[in-house]
Amino acid sequence: MSAEVKVASYLTQYTGGKEIIKVEGKSVRECLLDLIKQFPDMEKILFDDKNILRAFFNIFITGGDVAFADKLDVPVKTGDILTILYIIGGG
Amino acid sequence: MLTPEEKQRYDRQIMIPGIGKAGQSKLKKARVVIAGSGGLGSPISLYLTAAGLGTLRIIDNDKVELSNLNRQILHWDKDIGKFKTDSADKKLRDLNKNITVETINTTIDESNVSELLSGFDVIVDAMDNLPTRFLLNRAAVEHRIPFVHGAVSGLEGRAMTVIPGKSACLQCLYHTIPPISKFPVLGATPGVIGCIQATEVIKYITGIGSLLTNRLLIYDGLNMKFTELQVVRIKNCECCGNLNIEDKT
Repeated sequence: MSAEVKVASYLTQYTGGKEIIKVEGKSVRECLLDLIKQFPDMEKILFDDKNILRAFFNIFITGGDVAFADKLDVPVKTGDILTILYIIGGG
Repeated sequence: MLTPEEKQRYDRQIMIPGIGKAGQSKLKKARVVIAGSGGLGSPISLYLTAAGLGTLRIIDNDKVELSNLNRQILHWDKDIGKFKTDSADKKLRDLNKNITVETINTTIDESNVSELLSGFDVIVDAMDNLPTRFLLNRAAVEHRIPFVHGAVSGLEGRAMTVIPGKSACLQCLYHTIPPISKFPVLGATPGVIGCIQATEVIKYITGIGSLLTNRLLIYDGLNMKFTELQVVRIKNCECCGNLNIEDKT
C-alpha cells in the first residue's frame, strides 16, 4: 500500500525539509518503519529505547482513525494520509 | 434587555448578522469559566470581557512572574508578585464595568473541579498542562457543559470545541498524557489561539456559525498555515463513550 506521512513543521528538520513523505506499508507500523528507513533520524524521535511510540505522539489516519503506542497495527489503505501529531499542552 | 450604554458599547458586534440585540442579550446572560489566566487566558478573558459576556469566572493559582510577560498580556510589570486572579480582576473591571468577574485563586483538582464548573454555560481551557485539561474535559462531559480546548507550543497552536454527547472529546483526540514539561512559546501564539477560543465561545452562546467540533484546528505560525484534522468520537472512549449514542453526530 502506498500512503503519505505528514509531519509537523518542527519535525521537518529530521525529514530533509519535507512535510509530506510517501511511504509503503499495510499498517501504521509498517508505514512508520518505511519512514524511518528513508529518514533514520526519525527513529529516535518517534520511538523510545524499547521501540515503543513515544507518548507525545498520536498518528491520525485519513477519516479520523487514530493510532498510538499500543495500537500501531491499524490498517492503512492506498492513498491514506498519516498525520504525526505531537501532543502539546502549553498555555 | 440591553441598556442604551450597552447598545452603544456593543454596536459593532450587534451589527453582525445573527448576533443582533438578541444575541447580545444572550451574551449578557451567559456564564463562562476560564480555567487559567496565563498566555491563553489573557486574550480569552480580554475579548470575552470586551464582548460583554455576563459572568466570567477566572480560576488560577499562580503569581505573576517576569518570565510570564512575553505572552500573558493581562499582566504587566507592575503586577509581578501579585496573584494573577487579582491582576486579571482589576484589568477586566477597568475594561468593562458592565460584566461580573469572579476570580478564584485555587488549583483545579479532582476534589474541586465539579464545584468550580457546575452551573456554567461554557468551560474554556486555558491551562498550561495536559493533566488538568483532561480533568476539565472529564468534568465538562460529566456536567454536559461545552468545553473549548486550546493549547500552544512554540509557534504552533491547537483548538477544538467539545459538545459533550455530540462531538469528540479531548480524550477521543489524545490517548496518552505526556509528562508535564516546560514549553517554549512565542507570545503571539496564545494570542492567536486564545482569540479563536473566544470566538468559539461567542458563536456557541449566540448560536451562529459552525463550531470546531470533530475537527482539530492546527495553527502553524512558522509557515503561517492553518490546517484541520478530522477527529472521530470514539465509541468506547473512557470519558465520553457512555453518553447517549443517539446524540452522536
